[in-house]
Amino acid sequence: MTSLTMPLYLKLAIRNVFRNRRRTIITLAAMAFGAAAIIVFGGFVHAIYFGVRESTIRSQIGHIQLYRRGYSEKGNLAPYDYLIRDYAALRTELARIEHVKTVTARLGFSGLVSTGDTTTSFVGAGVDPDGETELSSLAVIVDGKDLMKRDPRGITLGVGLARAFGVKPGDDLTLLTTTKGGGINALAVKVRGVWESGEKAYDDRFLRVGLAEVQRLLDIEHDDVQSIVLLLDKTEHTPAVRARIEQLIHERGLDLEMKTWDDLALRYHQVRELFGRIFAVLTLIVSIMVVFGITNTMTMAIFERTREIGTIRALGTRRRGVIAMFVLEGVSLGMLGGLAGVVLGIVLARAISAAGIQLPPPPGSTRGFLVQIFVVPDVLVQAFRLSLVTAALASIYPAWRAARVDVVEALRHV
Amino acid sequence: MVDDRLARRDHHAPMSLVAVKDVSKTYRLGTQTVTALAGVSMSVEPGEFLAVAGPSGSGKTTLLNLLGCLDTPTSGEVEIDGECASALSAGRRADLRARKLGFIFQTFNLIPVLTAWENVEYPLLLTTRRGHGARVRAVLEQVGLGDRARHRPPELSGGQQQRVAIARALVTEPALVLADEPTANLDSKTGHEIVELMRRLNRERHTTFVFSTHDPRIMAVADRVVEISDGRLR
Repeated sequence: MTSLTMPLYLKLAIRNVFRNRRRTIITLAAMAFGAAAIIVFGGFVHAIYFGVRESTIRSQIGHIQLYRRGYSEKGNLAPYDYLIRDYAALRTELARIEHVKTVTARLGFSGLVSTGDTTTSFVGAGVDPDGETELSSLAVIVDGKDLMKRDPRGITLGVGLARAFGVKPGDDLTLLTTTKGGGINALAVKVRGVWESGEKAYDDRFLRVGLAEVQRLLDIEHDDVQSIVLLLDKTEHTPAVRARIEQLIHERGLDLEMKTWDDLALRYHQVRELFGRIFAVLTLIVSIMVVFGITNTMTMAIFERTREIGTIRALGTRRRGVIAMFVLEGVSLGMLGGLAGVVLGIVLARAISAAGIQLPPPPGSTRGFLVQIFVVPDVLVQAFRLSLVTAALASIYPAWRAARVDVVEALRHV
Repeated sequence: MVDDRLARRDHHAPMSLVAVKDVSKTYRLGTQTVTALAGVSMSVEPGEFLAVAGPSGSGKTTLLNLLGCLDTPTSGEVEIDGECASALSAGRRADLRARKLGFIFQTFNLIPVLTAWENVEYPLLLTTRRGHGARVRAVLEQVGLGDRARHRPPELSGGQQQRVAIARALVTEPALVLADEPTANLDSKTGHEIVELMRRLNRERHTTFVFSTHDPRIMAVADRVVEISDGRLR
């Protein structure tokens, strides 16, 4: 091929794309809808990832958790042997780190809760009422009020636990648990509020108590906590803050270990895994659609233009020239279909988000949600690339067949 | 009947532009073998304006396809300008066509999405690199279509389309132009004009033309007429 043949083939390819306008428009529409489906579904999935991630972080686990070294491995057996000392000093230090919005502490415990008539087991957390309010911004108080420092005996319950127990704000309860030393201790408390996090397993079992009361109940030093939980201004800053804390642990020789939301949010990873697979299936379906569309269009185009193929071959165009011409035509279709798909996808994503469609609660959740479709640049690129690459690949076989046409036969074709 | 001028020639003269040596072409049609050409030998001299005449199905087109390196003989040899075309690969034959041959078809066969100018330019792009604008302009003017360069084939009459095809065949200054019934799809007046144009270009540019026809008025314009019947020269 000379240096001038590629621009020639490109020119021919582009003009031929618009030769049979109706057929081209139908092919482009099919490709555009396929690409738009990927963009809309991809955007929906990303909105779900974001929703699950942020609700998990902000209602339960925070962005970063710190424990005494060894807690993750052996803390289950002897939780009170792995307590962080000097919480107050550490808190001041951590709060100074850029992007850290809230530093709070927790002390996990479990036991039995009783109304006097009925008793059930619970999983509890001793929390700092000030910090926890911010951290649990997505665990909404649905009845009563949140914890307060000046009401040390007040507790809050998950909505499932409160319902199962039939208690409401103002009711008295007794918590029964094992102390650090192995003895049994009890604490009389009053229900201040009932909250809902959206995650059923959590709402059915959990209760929150002021940190100071739990320290007393468990017979633990005033400055000892089980975990320090950090909330950042943005989730994207997690790696940077993590690195800074690692540096701090190293410099000060602190006896701490760290986990980020990514290590702790199991449900988030399960959701990603599930939707990732559904998305892959959708991508495959769209690819097959594009392959059939392009193959059909190209095969028809080649049949209609058989005599032209014979003519250009007679004029001295080599077989690879014919292949180049038809593959470029496929690529042009792919590019146009991909671009149309990106535009259509963005418009649909915005329109669906603006329409305010309410969906029922997903499995394991108690709250419905509004459909949001994110416009994700990566997904746009993926949808466009899929159209382009699939169209190019799908046009290779028809192009190869066109190039194999016998010149004499092709010239005789009517 | 073989034209008496042909009878005087040596078929295998080394100076011939085209040498066809004992060429046969057979096709398989289902279980039948059809002989399109049987032991044809002929030559074409540089600058000739040669008509191949014969009824439909006589083998005219098959002979022109072999001369045009569009097909290969079942046996025998075809030499174009010293190159043994029948021995070349498909790719090499394509290159040979691009370098040495020009084609004019019965149905014009222009690329409808390209303008007259671009159609004429097409063969140049396959063989040369730069500076072919002047050649395209000159040849379009020679065929009387200097003012139709930006028109696409559907906007041109049949006669104008065939003129564009002639310009396309001549633009690379080929050794040989092959025209398979170039006037068959034109009315007799336009057909005559086209043959006159080909004849004029043959004289002005010394381009060798071989064309097939069964129109006696067109045969009359030729330097020499080769008659073919049932795949044999007469």
